[in-house]
Amino acid sequence: MKSSADMITPDYLRNKLKLKSLEVRQSFSEKFPEVNRFLTEKGIDLGKIREHSAKIIGAGALTGTLLFTPPGNIKDLPPLSEIIASIKGLIKEGSIDLPQKFLIDLLKGILPERTRPLTESEEKKIEQVFEKVIGVKTKADLEGEHLNTTYGYIGAEQHLARYPGDNIYNHPKIPSGDEGIAPGLGAWGYFSQSRENLTKSLEETEKWYAVVQTLYLPDWNKRAKYLREWYKYRKVLVVNTDNGNAVVAAIADSGPAAWTGRHFGGSPEVMEYLGGSKYKKGPVLVFFVDDPENKVPLGPVDYNKTNLTELSLTQI
Amino acid sequence: MSILFFDRLLVLDEVDKEIKTKAKTAEEREELWRLVDEIIHHKIMGCVLDKLPEKSRPEFLEKFQKAPYDEGLFKFLTEKVGEDIEEFLKTEIAKLKSEILHEIKGK
Repeated sequence: MKSSADMITPDYLRNKLKLKSLEVRQSFSEKFPEVNRFLTEKGIDLGKIREHSAKIIGAGALTGTLLFTPPGNIKDLPPLSEIIASIKGLIKEGSIDLPQKFLIDLLKGILPERTRPLTESEEKKIEQVFEKVIGVKTKADLEGEHLNTTYGYIGAEQHLARYPGDNIYNHPKIPSGDEGIAPGLGAWGYFSQSRENLTKSLEETEKWYAVVQTLYLPDWNKRAKYLREWYKYRKVLVVNTDNGNAVVAAIADSGPAAWTGRHFGGSPEVMEYLGGSKYKKGPVLVFFVDDPENKVPLGPVDYNKTNLTELSLTQI
Repeated sequence: MSILFFDRLLVLDEVDKEIKTKAKTAEEREELWRLVDEIIHHKIMGCVLDKLPEKSRPEFLEKFQKAPYDEGLFKFLTEKVGEDIEEFLKTEIAKLKSEILHEIKGK
């Protein structure tokens, strides 16, 4: 016999939420007709206010004129040339024995106190820092595509089913605190149509996957077909801004919902590497990996082992 | 800054968990997420406007439509309302979470 929880189907949920949505819309328009009129005149649907906001932010970020009002949440940033000079100086002095600490200190000088979409100027500086310190070339804006935010909170996700019949018993797990396997599929469905066709590369893609909010991109509905292909398994560099741990991940799902307090998601392996088995949520930077020849491998970036003195630092 | 000025107050993980358990495809999940989003926006704006003196509403709406992401709106609202609007909204969001859970769990 089915329990009441089993009887709740996606259709049931949809109908319940649709009814609730209609109810709150109607109640709002009855209670505040003048507000409804004002918003309609401005062409704003309150239900879709997130898209309207993302459009404004997108336009601001492109021109670099975005103003953030909370005092103390914007810094007088050092110019890019100064940041590069400071990296060069420290390398000359041989004082970078702890690249992760060095990275955290550099980021502290650039990032605002609280997570928020960054300005173009902030993102340009971070791209340089990533390339010079971590050794991975990244872009906040790649081929004209940009995430709604590059600085936000990441949350723990579950493993994804890789092929029909895949389950938690035959799926690799992390030693402790594993989140299990998601009941539904990722945004791009199965990674392979059968276990036999699951290549090593696809296994790695699921192991090191990231989740980004493609559904909230302002032009997602207009360019869904192109964007779906563009984002599929797109490589991103995810950096924990608290401890400097960095991992290259592949985008394999969309989300999380905006009302969860998170902006990105990471597979159990990604999260474990970023912050350990108990790490479930934390601030991160997420930038596209600029890797046209597909040479950057997925997984942890052990830049502690990188000999920084051998990196070529080019003044721009 | 958030995408919407009240975003950082929204932590409805339990609602998300219910949706993820039931939705089989990403499309289904996203549709349900959007419906919850619509409910939240109307409810929160309703709570804000309820509290706000009528004469301050046009100014708030002008500011809101120009920069819905602007956390400075909290300061504006707190000044006009005369109480900490963030604390008030946190309480209202907790109520809303229970309401949505009640709806979707079928109780």
